[in-house]
Amino acid sequence: MAQEILQYTIIGIAVGMVYALIALGFVLIWKSSSVANLTLGQIVLASSWFTYSMLVQAKLPLWLGFIFVVLFALALGWAIERFALRALIAQPILSLITVTLGVSYFIEGVVAFIWPWSVDALPRFFPNEPVHIGQAVISQEYLWVVSICLGLFGLLSLFFRYHKMGIAMRATADDQMAVQACGIPVTSIFSTSWMFACLVAAVGGILVSSLGGITYGLVETGLKAFSVVILGGLDSFLGAVLAGPIIGLAESLGSGLLYRAFPLLWPGIKDIIPFIIIIIVMVIKPFGLFGESRIERI
Amino acid sequence: MSLPCGTRNFTYAEDMAIIRTRTQWALFAAVLVLLFTSPLYLSNYWLGVANLIGITLIAVTGLNILMGYCGQLSIGHAGFIAVGAYTSAILTNRFEVPFLVALVSSGLTAGVIGLIFGIPSVRVKGFYLAITTLAAQFIIIWVINHWQLAGGFVGIKVPYASIGDLVFRSESSQFSLIASIAVLTTFFAKNLARTKVGRAFIAVRDNDLAAEVMGVNLFHYKLLAFFIGCFMAGIAGSLLAHHVGFMNTEQFSLSESILFIGMLIIGGLGTTIGPIFGVIFIRILQQVLTVQFVPFLEKTFTAFPSGFATGVTPMLFGLIIILFLILEPRGLAHRWTLFKSAYRLWPFSY
Repeated sequence: MAQEILQYTIIGIAVGMVYALIALGFVLIWKSSSVANLTLGQIVLASSWFTYSMLVQAKLPLWLGFIFVVLFALALGWAIERFALRALIAQPILSLITVTLGVSYFIEGVVAFIWPWSVDALPRFFPNEPVHIGQAVISQEYLWVVSICLGLFGLLSLFFRYHKMGIAMRATADDQMAVQACGIPVTSIFSTSWMFACLVAAVGGILVSSLGGITYGLVETGLKAFSVVILGGLDSFLGAVLAGPIIGLAESLGSGLLYRAFPLLWPGIKDIIPFIIIIIVMVIKPFGLFGESRIERI
Repeated sequence: MSLPCGTRNFTYAEDMAIIRTRTQWALFAAVLVLLFTSPLYLSNYWLGVANLIGITLIAVTGLNILMGYCGQLSIGHAGFIAVGAYTSAILTNRFEVPFLVALVSSGLTAGVIGLIFGIPSVRVKGFYLAITTLAAQFIIIWVINHWQLAGGFVGIKVPYASIGDLVFRSESSQFSLIASIAVLTTFFAKNLARTKVGRAFIAVRDNDLAAEVMGVNLFHYKLLAFFIGCFMAGIAGSLLAHHVGFMNTEQFSLSESILFIGMLIIGGLGTTIGPIFGVIFIRILQQVLTVQFVPFLEKTFTAFPSGFATGVTPMLFGLIIILFLILEPRGLAHRWTLFKSAYRLWPFSY
């Protein structure tokens, strides 16, 4: 029992880290341009398939494949911002949300168009000899995933702290007018934030699909990242990074333990635990753990 | 304003009337006659499409009240339709409840479920609400899939709709049922927008804080919008269940929900005519694409992996949604208004 709990914990944290990474793809955009990016799931799906194309179909070496994947993600982010959202700057939030839904529909179509067989596996990037931690036995992959996520979090926070562009992005989130007055092109900030967002979501997606294969379920994985965003607060990096493992733990421990207790009653409850958490957070604390609660005026 | 030259209103009732002139009455009667006699000259296949259009119209009209009038985004509408469909399926299949009772109770059930998921709308809006309804979609579908009574993943059979001895077996009899409910729904929606409730909805949509300050009870009206919108979704679901005859949850996917929003955008948010245009446009396009265009592509381009053409439909729909939002955010309904005034003023341009 104890080692199983330990196993579930580590798996949960690893999966949660990936959710957090994907969720960063939301927070980045929300912070700089207050656009709700509902395309996350499809970005995850498309970039996983692209990785598959590069590594399996084109048989490129790992490093070259990853360079192409990074370029693809950046291009995808740029294209979405340039062609769908640039035209809708300063429109009501309803249009901004629905346009990202339209984009998600479009990307889904493109994915079905190019990779119609809909299920496949990525090659394994990480050695998968099991590791023994205390009594628990887990696959090494999970530890790799955790360390990659932590590394990326570190890089991103350094970028936002010290890099000129990062500082400009934070400033844009704070006050777009003031930033414009300082001579920073706000539109290029928007497009950079979309490129970054697609990049982190793509990395998250590749990590997930290297563990569980590429399926349509990746879209749902992307959507589950919204529960991280909601729990952590829409505009908080720290919130996303902390809420990710919480959601992952709830998912893995909850399903593991509930499944043990009521094997017949709860098959597959794992899939909706994040969504139930969304509803609960929404009723109790709508702005999340670290989100800034907005005081509105008329 | 939009009346022909020389038409004057002498009483309040005249001023409020939707249909004012004789020509309008004649056109209205002609459209109704044309609608209800269409089983005579439409083939069975197109009647099936028309039935689907009617059912979707009811659901989208509900979504229009929720989203177009009251401004509450719902990405889970297919989930609410599923609630209605399964309520009807379970009641008629497992408990042999008469169709009319099942129809009303599926509307009510969907309405109540909608109320439950609508409660957060009182405190949050915009993106937060979108995510709540998204969660509703997944939770509802999951519960249906894992509930023995609802048939689970296997699905559930639904008998034909019947009132007394009258069984709606053929496409044409189903058409008369669906068309009458769709007409009633549209009539209701048109009039709802002109009442106190409708004005309150619009006030909430335009600025909910200002509306609250003016004395509009947000809690009441937002939940009312959720109830009405989901009630209509439930009715549509029940009709769908009896029309298709077999239910499984794949008919209520998230993309279906997004497509409903797309129909609303294409038709025009917050207008009664909008959903009609949007639903007809998308459903007929969908039919043409899946029945004609996709098999054609598959046959012509055999070099591509099989099944590639299924991606064309979502690709095109996504593109249409984006283009409409950017180029014509007021939808086809706006074009229709322009056309009407151009017709009225012809040969002058103003």
